[in-house]
Amino acid sequence: MTRLRPLWVVAPGAFALFFVLPLAGLLLRALTDGDVAGEFRSSATLDALWLSVGTATFTLVLTLLFGTPLAYLLARSRSSAVRVGAALLDLPLVLPPAVAGIALLTMFGRRGYVGEPLDGAGIALSFTTAGVIVAQLFVAAPYYVRTAYAGFFAADPRFEGVAYTLGLSRWRTFRSVTLPLVWPALAGGALLCWARALGELGATLLFAGSLPGRTLTMPLAILAAFESPAGLAGAVSIAVVLVAVALVLLVVLHRITDSRGPYQ
Amino acid sequence: MRLIRSCLLDVVVVGLLTLACSGGDDGRVRVLAASSLSDVLPLIAERYGEAHPEIEIELIFAGSTTLATQIEEGAPADIYIAANRAQAERILSAGLGTRDVAIAANNLVVVVADAAPWQTIQALAASSPRVAVAAPGVPVAVLTEIALDTLDAAVATALRDGIVTRDPNVRVALSRVETGEADAAFVYDTDLATAKGVRAIELPPQPSTNEYIALLVTNDGDAPTEVAAGFLAFLQHDAAADVLVEAGFIPVTVFQ
Repeated sequence: MTRLRPLWVVAPGAFALFFVLPLAGLLLRALTDGDVAGEFRSSATLDALWLSVGTATFTLVLTLLFGTPLAYLLARSRSSAVRVGAALLDLPLVLPPAVAGIALLTMFGRRGYVGEPLDGAGIALSFTTAGVIVAQLFVAAPYYVRTAYAGFFAADPRFEGVAYTLGLSRWRTFRSVTLPLVWPALAGGALLCWARALGELGATLLFAGSLPGRTLTMPLAILAAFESPAGLAGAVSIAVVLVAVALVLLVVLHRITDSRGPYQ
Repeated sequence: MRLIRSCLLDVVVVGLLTLACSGGDDGRVRVLAASSLSDVLPLIAERYGEAHPEIEIELIFAGSTTLATQIEEGAPADIYIAANRAQAERILSAGLGTRDVAIAANNLVVVVADAAPWQTIQALAASSPRVAVAAPGVPVAVLTEIALDTLDAAVATALRDGIVTRDPNVRVALSRVETGEADAAFVYDTDLATAKGVRAIELPPQPSTNEYIALLVTNDGDAPTEVAAGFLAFLQHDAAADVLVEAGFIPVTVFQ
């Protein structure tokens, strides 16, 4: 066993390094070739940043509002049809974002089954900020619903039963009994959802397009910079801005997730 | 267990190395080419393969600017075909390429759906259209800016105000009209050949076309290979020019 020990340390260490090194490369390259300070002052980059943070947060709010009851119903239902529905929740997770974008076009695009009547009524989703949120919602919400579903499923429904026999209302039971039990799952799922929405590129590009101030989120801005004559030097600088802001927000979110929140 | 573990690790490491080293053999020419060539270049490669079956031509398509950045970052490549001189110059002036030749040129058009009511650019501009263009710096976008400047100021403003997306390359912009998301897109004349359900609105005579510049990539510091030079020569050859002209490109003799 003693001879194996180095492998047990080296292999996970090398694996961890695999994640750290590209980020270190990004930072080094940005500091040598790029202009990170300039990007932090550039109104185009800040526009993209606020659009990204704003749309990802709006996506998360919608997901929490509609995804939480959905996850709860799926976890508490005994119907086998609902079980199949729960399995379908995993499907958007395996779809490439490009497929998600095309799927959204076929339904909500200007010639889509729902999009065409909407367009006739003067409501357009493609090439709008609302379209960015639709794309993020489709791609990112399943991460929350899936995690929340697992949390609700693991929380023993007998606790809720006891609460009901003690005369607590459904809402009080949910708030004082169920929610404290599943809080870590909900917070973790929310973090995944927000992070996935913030990084969304493929579905957004295909469904919402790429226009500064309207649909150009940070991932699209980084792609646009990479494709512009500014090339890699421009892209790494904007990427570092996104990484820095995402890191700060993730640290804050992690503090909420790792604690038991309001349920100490 | 120990044996199994170390074997497993070996398999993983060897597997990754094999994947990483799958380039560089002599019978292969890797061509990085502008997206607008994605229909015509496979035909040229096929024609070349008839005479040189031992040589494998590997074609990779993306926006010219994306490819130039990838070459700057050391992407393995033998030939780069840019959709304008500016992007080719980027590689040449950095000392990453050599022996540049113009192989064809292309015209800009405005594409709309077959069923669309507009016959002229003025009529299109008058109906506040949703317009797709390529991202700033992409060769077709450079050409688009020049074209907009040649139009009547009111028409150009209406079209500029109608821009709903600035796409990574010309083919994405074209797809916006094919899917009906946009009313019009600025694309190359030749992009229409394989597009479905769309037609072109002619622009007034343009002051410039864009040239396709092919060059040998030397970003690995090595001299270009014989086979790469061979394919570059073929691109200037009449047989290749015939295929280009057939696909609607402007032959090199016209503009030189």
